[in-house]
Amino acid sequence: MVSQTDREILRAEIRSRGDKLNAADRENLLKPYLPDPADLAPANSTSSTSPRRSRAGTSSSQRRQKPRRKPIRTFLKSQLYRLTYAITHIFFGIVVRLLQAYHAVVDRIFAIVYHHHRTPELIRKDVRGLKRLPEHLSVILTLHKEDDALAALMDEVAELAAWSACAGIPQLSVYEKSGKDSCFNQHGRSTWPNMKPQANSLASALGVLKSCIPALHQIISTKLASYFGTPSQQPSLQLFAPHHPIHGTAPNHKSETPSLTLLLLSSTDGRETIVDLTKTLAEMSQNGKLSPEDITPELVDAEISEITTQPLRASGRGVSPLKPEPDLLLVFGPFLKLDGYPPWQIRLTEMYCTGDRNHGMTGYGEAVEYQGFMRGLWHYAGAQMRFGR
Amino acid sequence: MAGSMHLSRLRRWFLASPPIEFAISNLKELLVGALRQGPIPQHVAFVMDGNRRFARSHGIETVEGHNLGFEALARILEVCYKSGVKVVTIYAFSIENFKRSKFEVDALMDMAKVKLSQMAQHGDLLDRYGAKVRVLGRLDLLKPDVLAAVNKAVDLTSRNGDRVLNICFPYTSRDEMTTAIRDTVEDYSTPLRPALFANGPARTPFSESHIAHNIRAQTLGSSRPQDTHSDSESTSAESSAQEDDAVLRNDHASRVYESGSSFSSSTTLHLGGQDGHHSKAAASGNTSDGDSPMYMSPETISRQILTDHMLTKGTPPLDMLVRTSGVERLSDFMLWQCHENTEIVFLDVLWPEFDLWHFLPVLLGWQRRISKSRQNPNAEGNFAGDTPETSEEDADNMVLRQTKVKAI
Repeated sequence: MVSQTDREILRAEIRSRGDKLNAADRENLLKPYLPDPADLAPANSTSSTSPRRSRAGTSSSQRRQKPRRKPIRTFLKSQLYRLTYAITHIFFGIVVRLLQAYHAVVDRIFAIVYHHHRTPELIRKDVRGLKRLPEHLSVILTLHKEDDALAALMDEVAELAAWSACAGIPQLSVYEKSGKDSCFNQHGRSTWPNMKPQANSLASALGVLKSCIPALHQIISTKLASYFGTPSQQPSLQLFAPHHPIHGTAPNHKSETPSLTLLLLSSTDGRETIVDLTKTLAEMSQNGKLSPEDITPELVDAEISEITTQPLRASGRGVSPLKPEPDLLLVFGPFLKLDGYPPWQIRLTEMYCTGDRNHGMTGYGEAVEYQGFMRGLWHYAGAQMRFGR
Repeated sequence: MAGSMHLSRLRRWFLASPPIEFAISNLKELLVGALRQGPIPQHVAFVMDGNRRFARSHGIETVEGHNLGFEALARILEVCYKSGVKVVTIYAFSIENFKRSKFEVDALMDMAKVKLSQMAQHGDLLDRYGAKVRVLGRLDLLKPDVLAAVNKAVDLTSRNGDRVLNICFPYTSRDEMTTAIRDTVEDYSTPLRPALFANGPARTPFSESHIAHNIRAQTLGSSRPQDTHSDSESTSAESSAQEDDAVLRNDHASRVYESGSSFSSSTTLHLGGQDGHHSKAAASGNTSDGDSPMYMSPETISRQILTDHMLTKGTPPLDMLVRTSGVERLSDFMLWQCHENTEIVFLDVLWPEFDLWHFLPVLLGWQRRISKSRQNPNAEGNFAGDTPETSEEDADNMVLRQTKVKAI
């Protein structure tokens, strides 16, 4: 730590743009803060440092030439550090648990006060006061290990779709790492490490996703019906994934009901997509169809965005095409980790983690709850949630 | 208002008094030493955000805010390196920042130049204590004098120890990714030299050209007149080269033609093996060995290859990304690097105020999680990535390396 007086000298020096002190002055100023060169010598490769030591560290290193001094002091110091580590972590653990308990209570209260009751009007009321709403909301979900994990996940997606439709968010994208719902394999997470080495099996996981889309569409439609009632009042739903055709009804622009576009993403749409793009570009370049200088951020952006917007456009429905970059990324997890989310699109995306206040404690904040969803939206709008609507 | 100002002045005086200062620096030393006892992230990235807002809220010049930000950086670097972080990456200047006022851009550039050239004056000290400094980004956008300072500093520190400081200078992540893609494509579209490809024919014991030649000979034998009609060019080329070669070149030419390139088959035939189109010539020269393998196959491009083409190549995976000032987005920083297991932390503190006290809970939380996931590797949300184990053996060295507070 630099003392106040030295800091003042340095600041004055910076203001004068570095012409007040010369190199020697600065070294003198620094000297008290540097470790003793004698301590460092055994750690470094001595051959390269020996001539320099005689030049720069004359006074201190010549007095004490012994390479290893005070073994007892060193030992005591390391023991002290170990003790401090233990004590700090005990205290930190206590603080974290207290905070966790506090937030758990607060969240329960929020969950009671802010409950959707499957009523679109209530959800609309909750977001009415907000300054801005995300146009494209993205959510990271995790597939849990239980037997009914897939059903639970699909239900979560359906709930999120319903909340978004009620809140007036036109685009929702859901990211789940393991290539989405492996319909045939309920224990998606546990078999995942075995699949990881082969990139090709990722593609097969994506193939499974395709077979899941109709089922998911069915579940979401049922959920929407439970929120909105009769089909005429339901928002029109479009469900699709990259490289898959759109499933769902075309939005009817004359009607008053909102429309929702739901995009399913998996880890293959992340780095793998960029790798695929590179492969294609390399092939084109090898065939002389493209020179590497033609590769610009604009080109890459256009190509990457195409993946998420293309199915919409191909179907001829895309009057308002999907915004490729999400405005808000909600992470339902204990801490903020992207977990393979497509890297290109999240340049300016705001991120919010529902379990963020717990210093990475596991087992909390992972549940997809309405109050977490609302907290994210309120946070995005720069507003504070209060008790009582 | 006046009361709070007096209070803050009193507080500053109190903190600056020698015994308190001594105690605080000892406490910091102790905490950093304690942090070393647990797992430590190997690669930490910082977005130094909030300098301007700090300046505005404290009524000082923007440039002054940046200077204070530099002090904060020095503080935090000390904490990082002493606690065992190997690589620190900082976001110093975005390509987008060139759009700011010319005055501010110039001041920032000036500051960078002064700092870097000052660093260069301390060659000895840097050699002994310093980290490797690397500047990542579009260096071609810099002014020549700044670029010279950058190059000098990078050169001077290139032989330093195992600590690395990555300064992202005019940088955006999209630009980085694009450059990586472009470099990869360039790598893959330079034809392989025969020496590199020496084991290629060994793996394919049957020569494709020979097979093609045989087939051609058979079809020629059966229906010669039609064949010569269909490709008259090959017969024209026959005059200049051996039949074997000509067939092959024709083969190659038709392939190029099929792929819709701008080269017409006739020009390739005439230029084959000559200096006109260098890469094409080399390509057709290689064709005599076999057909496709004159380039590395694009199918071998993987995530790892792209990672190796990123500017952060050779550094451990990013464990933690810290952004100050409460802005909760990445702003085009480390998009590729942070997308897997990186813990992203947004802190509601302006960068010039950032200190060990803000960083400590983050580090402790990380340590807690990592040691938990080590005890219970099947727990959900744990890190799949490797945890730092290497620090055990050089721990003694590092204890020695701590500044001798007790010796005073």
